[in-house]
Amino acid sequence: MGLTNTPSDLLPGTLELLILKSLMGGARHGYAIVEHLRLASNDILNIGESALYPALQRLLFNGWVKAEWGTSENNRRARFYTLTAAGRRQLAAERAEFDRMVGAIQRVLAST
Amino acid sequence: MAASKVHFMTAFLRYLWYVLRRSDHDAELRDEIESHRAHRQDALERKGLTPTAAAAASWRAMGNMTLAVEDVRDVWIARMLDNARQDIRDAFRGLRKNAGFSAVVIATLALGIGANTSLFSIFNSLIMRPLPVRDPEGLALLASGSWSYPVWREIKARETQLFEGAFAWSRESFDLAEGGKPVPVDGAFVSGRFFDVLGVPPFRGRMLAPADDSGAAPDGPVAVISHRFWRQHFGGTDDVVGRQLTMHPQRLSFTIVGVMPPGFSGVDVGRMADVLLPFAAEPMLQGRESVLEAVGAAWLEIMVRLKPGQTIEHANAALRSVQPQIRAGVMPGFRGDPAFGKRYLTHPLTLDPAAAGASRLRRQFETPLFAMVVAVGLVLLVACANIATLLLARALGRRGEFSVRLALGGSRRRIAQLLFVESLLLAISGAALGLAFAKWSSALLVQQLGSTVALDLSLDWRVLVFTATLTCLCAISAGLAPMIGVKSVAAGEALKGAGRSIAGDRRFAVRGTLVVAQLAVSFILVIAAGLFLRTFASLSQLPLGFAPEPLVVVQLNLRAAGIPLEERGAHVERLRDAAAAMPGVRSASASAVRLLAGGGWFSNNRVAVGDGPLLPEDQRRRVWRDAITPGWFETMGITILSGRDFDGRDRIGSLPVAVVNQAFARRYLPNQQPIGQTLRVDTETGPRYEIVGVVADAVYTTPRAGMLPTMYVPLAQREPQAWGSSAVLTLKAMSGQRALVERDVAAAVTKVDPKIVFTARTFDQIVDATATQERLVAMMSGFFGALAVLLAGLGLYGIVAHAVSARRTEIGLRMALGARPAGIARLVFGRVGVLIVAGLALGVAGSWWAARFVAPLLFQVEARDPITFFGTTAVLVAVGALAAWVPARRAARLDPATVLREG
Repeated sequence: MGLTNTPSDLLPGTLELLILKSLMGGARHGYAIVEHLRLASNDILNIGESALYPALQRLLFNGWVKAEWGTSENNRRARFYTLTAAGRRQLAAERAEFDRMVGAIQRVLAST
Repeated sequence: MAASKVHFMTAFLRYLWYVLRRSDHDAELRDEIESHRAHRQDALERKGLTPTAAAAASWRAMGNMTLAVEDVRDVWIARMLDNARQDIRDAFRGLRKNAGFSAVVIATLALGIGANTSLFSIFNSLIMRPLPVRDPEGLALLASGSWSYPVWREIKARETQLFEGAFAWSRESFDLAEGGKPVPVDGAFVSGRFFDVLGVPPFRGRMLAPADDSGAAPDGPVAVISHRFWRQHFGGTDDVVGRQLTMHPQRLSFTIVGVMPPGFSGVDVGRMADVLLPFAAEPMLQGRESVLEAVGAAWLEIMVRLKPGQTIEHANAALRSVQPQIRAGVMPGFRGDPAFGKRYLTHPLTLDPAAAGASRLRRQFETPLFAMVVAVGLVLLVACANIATLLLARALGRRGEFSVRLALGGSRRRIAQLLFVESLLLAISGAALGLAFAKWSSALLVQQLGSTVALDLSLDWRVLVFTATLTCLCAISAGLAPMIGVKSVAAGEALKGAGRSIAGDRRFAVRGTLVVAQLAVSFILVIAAGLFLRTFASLSQLPLGFAPEPLVVVQLNLRAAGIPLEERGAHVERLRDAAAAMPGVRSASASAVRLLAGGGWFSNNRVAVGDGPLLPEDQRRRVWRDAITPGWFETMGITILSGRDFDGRDRIGSLPVAVVNQAFARRYLPNQQPIGQTLRVDTETGPRYEIVGVVADAVYTTPRAGMLPTMYVPLAQREPQAWGSSAVLTLKAMSGQRALVERDVAAAVTKVDPKIVFTARTFDQIVDATATQERLVAMMSGFFGALAVLLAGLGLYGIVAHAVSARRTEIGLRMALGARPAGIARLVFGRVGVLIVAGLALGVAGSWWAARFVAPLLFQVEARDPITFFGTTAVLVAVGALAAWVPARRAARLDPATVLREG
């Protein structure tokens, strides 16, 4: 997929799902989320800022994550995102929905 | 469980927070993205790039930061709008599905908000709205009452020295007869700088100028008309300037020089002046009856405009510094009473702020109107409580739907939001209908204030803000209860078939509190209604001293009819003869004064008996006077106690005679035989009246004022120059013929004089008019009280019925275990009793406290009148018992077997 700077390359809502998942392990700042997604996907998912930050704002708006300023491992000021209880529930719900969608797509592709 | 509400609130607050500190938010985002770039730079450096190269590469990789920030901004705004749109659509759908329920709620709100808006718009236009002139805050009215033209001339001579300017005006009715028929039009005489000082620009042509108000007016007699009058009488044509208005009966022509701007029709609130003439026109129109030079006549009002920076205290001080000169220049004749002359000179002139104009109506209606605004607000409160109960019940009925939504991942916040949007939609629909209702009902109410009252009831921003605030308050107060109720919904609850709980729960506590509040507020309203009804009753039971039922009163305007002073006596006699000859008329008499007009012809205690001295002037000891024809006492139904009535012998040239009433005899002739005594009134040199009769007391000014000392003289002994501009014919109808007389009287008098200007009314209408304010207040508070009790009763019934149906299982069990129906009924009544007692206790406390505010509106009734309090308690207990009885009976008749089978 190369440099996926636009969210439209993913299924709608997928980026949010991935961000929520990447926060399961604990608080992360924006750059760390991108790095985590890149490493976990073997360099396939490379999310740009113009996609990441609107997605993070959507999550903030819905109350699924909260944000706090802190200091990063590089000793730089950064904004750390944490999952809320609602975010955890949302992750579970979206994950089920995603599985359903992917299953559906695969069934379509497998059909002759 | 409290999470859902908190959730909703925090989401909303988050959004508010975002909107309020958007620039901070954007800056924070830029910081965050910069931090992101720095982390990338660190990573690149770790890969071996030089710091400069790493920085450059990280910048390149970042792309368009502004676009990113804007995208983020869109997220917030778009989501909020999207959610709102979706909620409105859902809410609309939900409400349409339940059309009956929605209609009831919207109608209740429309009535409630409409009634509030209607009263408030009257309150606003009568009391709050500033005049549509330049800087209305700078205006002040010379208090209190009216002044003579010489006083105005003295102030005018000093107007720019004391103030920025001053002006005077009077209240007049002009006659623009058309086709031989009188066409009265409200208007005013105004001083030359009236428009200049007020700062009212012309809409067409020009306004009056000082030159118009002088003997040498360049354009001759001129007039300015109102925008309203221009539209109604000239169809709004552009060539109105230069056209003529002909004033009757003198047939004097006035050239229209201008049209006033829309919305302005003089400075009297409650009265619209359509034709304004300069004071210089007064002698032309009134001729020998001109009062322009009379020092004793009080007929015009004076306003000033303060200098920039001048406070009302400064203005008062300035005015009082020249007061001796003003007063001394215009001393009315004091007929040898130096004490009064001294009081007159030193009585301080006072200016009052007058941004909202002048109004006689305001003084009369301010307090009752305010009381009604409060009362109707309380009714809306009770209505809102009912709607809250209805919405709560509906929300609880949708527990199934909500728990499914929750189970499917919907958030409580969205559900609460949906419920709130629903109540907001209901409130807005109610408010829209309410505005239409208010437009209609406020016009209706103003009509009730009196036929001559004209108020501008257009909706201005104050009314709209009031209604909008009310709507939001309704939505919040009615929407909060269901939101609290929904807190307890658990996900998947519906699937488990819950809702068969046995114990009562907190939702009933919410509704119970609402019902207690409703009962308390209704109690207060019913108390108020009771007090006002008793006030009205005691006023209408006051003795009048005469029998108004068979009487029809015709008030003649002799001056407007153009009858010269010398002919007035004979003319009135001709009209009286014609009236007496009408079929169905038992007798007809004439008099100078119309009774029950609130005032009349009086002397301030200056009476001398025999050769004694004139008593000192005293406004609190007035003697009321009237001039009447023979037979007037018989027509009115006033008994002659001793002596004789006037007769044909009493005419000009014969011995002046008088008849006095008992109150007069008690005050001025205590323990004496009145008949044969002589009286002088007001002047040492005037006629000596011989008392020829004593009559029973009758009300003169108002029923409230009671029986006042009154002195009657024969109309036939009046000198021509003593004739006033009006006279009164009183017709006594034969029994059952009053309607006929009322119908035919106009034809009878116009047959004698086709140009006569008059108004005919039954005496009952005149009596009714003396208690207009009290009747209106009693009617409205009675209506509001009944409405509140009805709503509270429905609320109580709703909660009891709901409690009974929710506890069917429990009641069935109890009955199966041997409880008797009477015991079940007692159980239900017990719970209701607690609510009623709590509500009444609160109501009594509230009314006790509020009593002092209504006291000034009451007459012969204590504000804490025990009868009213007991009566109200009885009414509310009865309503409460009825509201509880229906569901209690249903509970007692439950068949335990059926209930337990179902459960």
